[in-house]
Amino acid sequence: MKLYRKEGNILQMLSFPNESVEKGDYLLVEDCDVDKALIAQVIDVQFASVPGVLEELLRSLPDGGEVIQGEDFDPLDIAPHITYIQDASLLVCKIRATVEKDNLSPSSSWLPSRSKSSIKKLTLPSLLKLAKIGGRLPILLGGTKDSSLLTIDASHLDGRLNIITGKKETGKSHVSKLLMVNLIGYKATVVVFDLNGEYVSLGLTGDGKRNACHDKIHTLTPSQNFKVALKQINLHVLLGILIHALHLPGTSAREFRRIWQALKEKDTVTLHDLGEAIRNWNCNQHVRDALSSRYHAMLNSGFFTDSIAEATLLEDALCKAKEHGGAIVINLRSTSAIDRQIVVEYVLGKLVELLTSMRLKAAFLFAEEAHLYLRETYWDDIVTRMRHLGIFTTFITNQPDTIRENIYRQADNIFLFNFTNEHDLEVVSRAARVDAETVKSIARDLPPHHCLVLGKVVRDFPMVVKVKALDVRTMGETRLFFSERDQN
Amino acid sequence: MDTALPQHFTEQSIYTLKHLEGRTFQLNQQTIQQPHSLDELTQTPQIKMDLITLTPRHEETTVAACDTSTMRIGETATGMLIAVRGAAVWRQNKKYRYMRLGPFVFHVTEENKAQLYDTLEKSYFDATHGHGHHFGLNLLQMPLRIAGLLERWQQVMLARTLDSGLILLDGSLTAGTGDTPVQRIREILAHAGRSRNVILAFSKMTSLRAGGRLITDACFGRNSPSLLHILGLRPKPPIVLFGDVYVARLSKGGCAFRLDIDKENPFERRIEAVERLLGNDVFSQGYPETLRLAHILCTFTANEVLAMQHFAVRRYGLQIIERPDMHRLLFGPFGRGEA
Repeated sequence: MKLYRKEGNILQMLSFPNESVEKGDYLLVEDCDVDKALIAQVIDVQFASVPGVLEELLRSLPDGGEVIQGEDFDPLDIAPHITYIQDASLLVCKIRATVEKDNLSPSSSWLPSRSKSSIKKLTLPSLLKLAKIGGRLPILLGGTKDSSLLTIDASHLDGRLNIITGKKETGKSHVSKLLMVNLIGYKATVVVFDLNGEYVSLGLTGDGKRNACHDKIHTLTPSQNFKVALKQINLHVLLGILIHALHLPGTSAREFRRIWQALKEKDTVTLHDLGEAIRNWNCNQHVRDALSSRYHAMLNSGFFTDSIAEATLLEDALCKAKEHGGAIVINLRSTSAIDRQIVVEYVLGKLVELLTSMRLKAAFLFAEEAHLYLRETYWDDIVTRMRHLGIFTTFITNQPDTIRENIYRQADNIFLFNFTNEHDLEVVSRAARVDAETVKSIARDLPPHHCLVLGKVVRDFPMVVKVKALDVRTMGETRLFFSERDQN
Repeated sequence: MDTALPQHFTEQSIYTLKHLEGRTFQLNQQTIQQPHSLDELTQTPQIKMDLITLTPRHEETTVAACDTSTMRIGETATGMLIAVRGAAVWRQNKKYRYMRLGPFVFHVTEENKAQLYDTLEKSYFDATHGHGHHFGLNLLQMPLRIAGLLERWQQVMLARTLDSGLILLDGSLTAGTGDTPVQRIREILAHAGRSRNVILAFSKMTSLRAGGRLITDACFGRNSPSLLHILGLRPKPPIVLFGDVYVARLSKGGCAFRLDIDKENPFERRIEAVERLLGNDVFSQGYPETLRLAHILCTFTANEVLAMQHFAVRRYGLQIIERPDMHRLLFGPFGRGEA
């Protein structure tokens, strides 16, 4: 390889056919004279602009598009040299760091010697060692192209905002499960908004047996094994549901607060009494109607109950998980859009309540296709207020444009799977932790189950990894019309 | 096929390169592919032109053509590194095939030029023709001279191996100079005649004029394809014209070319040969595709020049030196014009 050009933090290098370099590979450009080296990542492989190649190609096809047949008497064996030059490639690389006396700095301000620099491939283990990626709480993410293993540090997910995105069936849920299982292993509290019931079998192996984290997975299905007793609910949480999930206007909310306080004083906070209170409350008819419709929406959701025995204490599940680590999977698979919002509002409200009162240290929240249940104002809340309280969110989506731009800007880690659509790549490339060229160039060519890891977990050295297989029962598969017929 | 000449080309190529091992050389991509014209050596006092309309004949006839190319690929302290390649193309059953020889890379110096040319010439051609006066050869003429030998050998091979076909040459059937001895052209034509082949030589450029105008600018009227028979050409000694000279416009709207046809053939046979060419080859801009392909296949592309330089460096350990470009050095941006 030969250093050809440097523009900004882009390096161009000439590579010859006997040097196998691919997109995503790391190269070390060493200039011994100054005892410094550049670490650059290949983001594109192009044909070198060799003069005369067009003529070469054109003359091989002059016979109406057919290759002209013939013999070449090449006694000096020059043909391999022609092919060698013709197949030379141009590697477009991004400078990731400068190595100086084993120390890494993100600088690309110096220019290595074009004639004296040596260029060699930097193996992933060497890079991991140089960049000190790994750490005390390792999560084995998978294998890289050169058969080495990529291990990230779970502590780099702690207090961070993460995004897992990629088109359908590329392995997003797989990597989120992998992260979850490992976090649980490190006694972390994990809450999952499971839109398609994919995580409910996280405690079972592929053949249906219990796995190591079986006892740490608590699946809560709203209105089935997840109900809330009205008595146990905090007014603040309930108002959150009414205002944000059921869009109760402010005036009506104030009336509701009065009704609630009246019921509390009489210690008659039940669904029946709440209904009666709304019906008989002395207030404007419009307010009454507004309150009445929200009351019925709550009633119909089946999520609220008067029976303490029937109610599941989310708080208990979270506290249990706090001690031994565990995941609370909120199964939203069969829940309607409105009910989903009620449940999410309740869970988030409860989490904030527990975190504020320091009854819970922190929680990792995994939210699949969050735009389907997360209210507008929560996006900013999640990256600011909630993060400071201790809710560390991982968004999982196959529609990257449903996540707001400021989320990308503030994302600390991105696990990016294949995207071919230019628009999708454009959205993801707004992430602050990586340059647009890397995202667009590498993500487009990622095979299924291969993920481009960006951000703090890899110390800002984008790495492509084949996500390791996980022995977990697959759920949430798409129901197919022809599957049975094909089996017969 | 007699392969004595290509074998000697190979041997001499390796021999000259081996004596170069480890030396420095300067890259040079200057092309020297233009052959000189013999037109000016022809007297044209009274030219008469007859227009002949052609009708394509489609009876199956093999059309063959050959061409060579040479390129200076670098300079050394004592001489230059050149490459030569030849290509023969033939069209049979509406399919083109080719045979390409080379590239042969030679290191030509003042010291070895005469011996090199002599060895190559003797390896195939009768040493009595044209032999013995190579010591006055200019070094710069050597690429064309060596390429000329290869081209003549290809022409002989086609003339001997083809039967009742048409052989297209690049240039004219003019002889009598150092690199085209009369006897050599006569020999090629004799071989062709024995195998019932007709040789048609196309010149892309000519300086022959009639009435002050280039013969290729003559008016053909609306008839196409057609030939203009040029009568009354008298070459200055020692130049010999082996062909009858025509101006050929072989496709409508195409260019006109000087066409020499072996004058040993009767007039009807000459016209019939052109008509068979029309019926058996494709024409682009009035130029036969077989000859065009021969030219294309032997020409060196920039990529190949780089590859040969790479070959010289890798195989023979030559050290590349970058001598300053004097034109650029002295004249800056004005240093690229033709001298």
